[in-house]
Amino acid sequence: MNLSISELTVRYGKRAVLDNVSHEFSEGLAHCLIGPNGCGKTTLIKALVEKYAASGEISYVPQDVYGQIALTVYDTVALGRYDRSRFFSGLTKEDKEKVDKAIEIMGLSDLTGRIFDTLSGGEKQRCMVARAIAQDTPWTILDEPSSNLDVKHNLHIMKTFRELKEKEGKSFIIVLHDVNTAAEFADRFVVMKEGRIVKATDTLDREMLSGVFEASFSESITPSGRKVFFAE
Amino acid sequence: MQPHKPSDSFILKLMIAVTALIAAVAVSSCLGSSSVAPASVLKYIAGARDGLSDTELLIIGRIRIPRVITSALVGGALACVGCIMQGLFKNPMADPSILGISSGSALGAAIAIVTGLNGMIIGEGFTGSYIGAILGALVTWAAVFFIAKGSGEYDTTSTLLAGIAISSIMSALITVMMTLHMENMERVYLWMLGTFSSATVIKTKVLAIVVFVFVPMLIIIAPRIDVLKLGREAALSLGVKQSRTLGITFCVSSVLLAFCVANSGIIGFVGLIIPHIVAFFKVYKMRQKMILCFFTGAVFMVICDSIAKTIVAPGEMAIGAITSLIGAPYFLWLLIKSRIAAGKGGVRS
Repeated sequence: MNLSISELTVRYGKRAVLDNVSHEFSEGLAHCLIGPNGCGKTTLIKALVEKYAASGEISYVPQDVYGQIALTVYDTVALGRYDRSRFFSGLTKEDKEKVDKAIEIMGLSDLTGRIFDTLSGGEKQRCMVARAIAQDTPWTILDEPSSNLDVKHNLHIMKTFRELKEKEGKSFIIVLHDVNTAAEFADRFVVMKEGRIVKATDTLDREMLSGVFEASFSESITPSGRKVFFAE
Repeated sequence: MQPHKPSDSFILKLMIAVTALIAAVAVSSCLGSSSVAPASVLKYIAGARDGLSDTELLIIGRIRIPRVITSALVGGALACVGCIMQGLFKNPMADPSILGISSGSALGAAIAIVTGLNGMIIGEGFTGSYIGAILGALVTWAAVFFIAKGSGEYDTTSTLLAGIAISSIMSALITVMMTLHMENMERVYLWMLGTFSSATVIKTKVLAIVVFVFVPMLIIIAPRIDVLKLGREAALSLGVKQSRTLGITFCVSSVLLAFCVANSGIIGFVGLIIPHIVAFFKVYKMRQKMILCFFTGAVFMVICDSIAKTIVAPGEMAIGAITSLIGAPYFLWLLIKSRIAAGKGGVRS
């Protein structure tokens, strides 16, 4: 199933955070939303969540890591298997397998008994991503999933998303600020500025980034043949 | 992988709480201003009532047992409402009073007392203040509910603010009423301090029905509160709507609070402190926490009422004072203990 937004305008007071935005996100791909702060990325993905939540096709990892979650890491990840139709029964065998798998993928096996609130920012972020993986939906929407992560874990979760996409056909919409991470892992880039989608493209280039972020970008090719961008 | 499963020990903790409640109820039933032998009380509870005098039957069956059961039901219900409020508002300081229902209830009772309607008795023990408290709670519930909802979506912040504002208005009106009717001030004040001395068999039965219908409803809702901690949109993706959950929780809690306050007056501290005490015993999932809160709150209230009715016998101490004097030091002891454990590398939530 593709996800689409059609002629969406969202206003906070008089300011249009999203201005007549239309876009279709094709399934089976990793879409990356990039753009400067306040350009409407989070509002756009929240609108997608609102629209498609009832379908059961999406899971969502918010930008904020919420406080006051006095649950163990295991129980927090297991929330991804919440089923409101089951009033009293706990996790099924299948649920437990999915929770265990998500915990293992995110490298949280040693932390399962820890209370979520006592984790570091990066551990919380990995826990939230694990919860979304346990939810096992065709689409996963993530708002800056790497904001609290160190280089190793950032690389790990992006590789995980790629693996889930390639092996299980999962689709992703990810808000990222790091254009090089986006360039490395995304199939499609949705570039936003001032509440509008200015470009939807398969490749990033220096001129476009310079125009969107109002900074001078240069690019270079690494020995492995990867294009990287530098803001100057 | 060996996942951490707090539920492994939950059943044990629950069994301890249930056993403690049975013991507390048995002991409290033996205590009171009139002297009834504990053996007679135990005989009554066991159903062997043939050897008991009419006076004993009256004291045990119509005074002691209703009172003990009422205190247990009110304690359990207040603890459950407090627990779900703290989870819903993501605020460890939240307690049942933040919804304004208790103040509204107190205003209703105060109006009944100062207007002389308290003397009006509908059925056994259903005084004017009882009816006034229920009506006051319902009016407050409607005010908070519709103001919080406004024309938009029902959210936690507007509910919290509306509850606090209306609670302040109700408290101010009570003060105005007490000032204007000084002759009734003592009666209103004593009612507000809380007591279980007016418990009757029929009131206890009505309360039991309310508690056994509405507390399980909160327990059914409870896992949704855990899911909402993930954030509004993440919860929505799991099929949990924040506004609907909040609306249902608020309505169910309001009915429970209305009947609790009508039966006992305002008893603070229990709804605030019991959920924290349960968390100290490492019960974190909302459903398990609420179940344990119910029994722990019941035990706590029965103990407090036992002290209230014996410490200055044949008089009575205000139950609210006892709940604070017993609960606060115990809570502080747990807090200090957990801080020491945290300093040694332990974990506390």
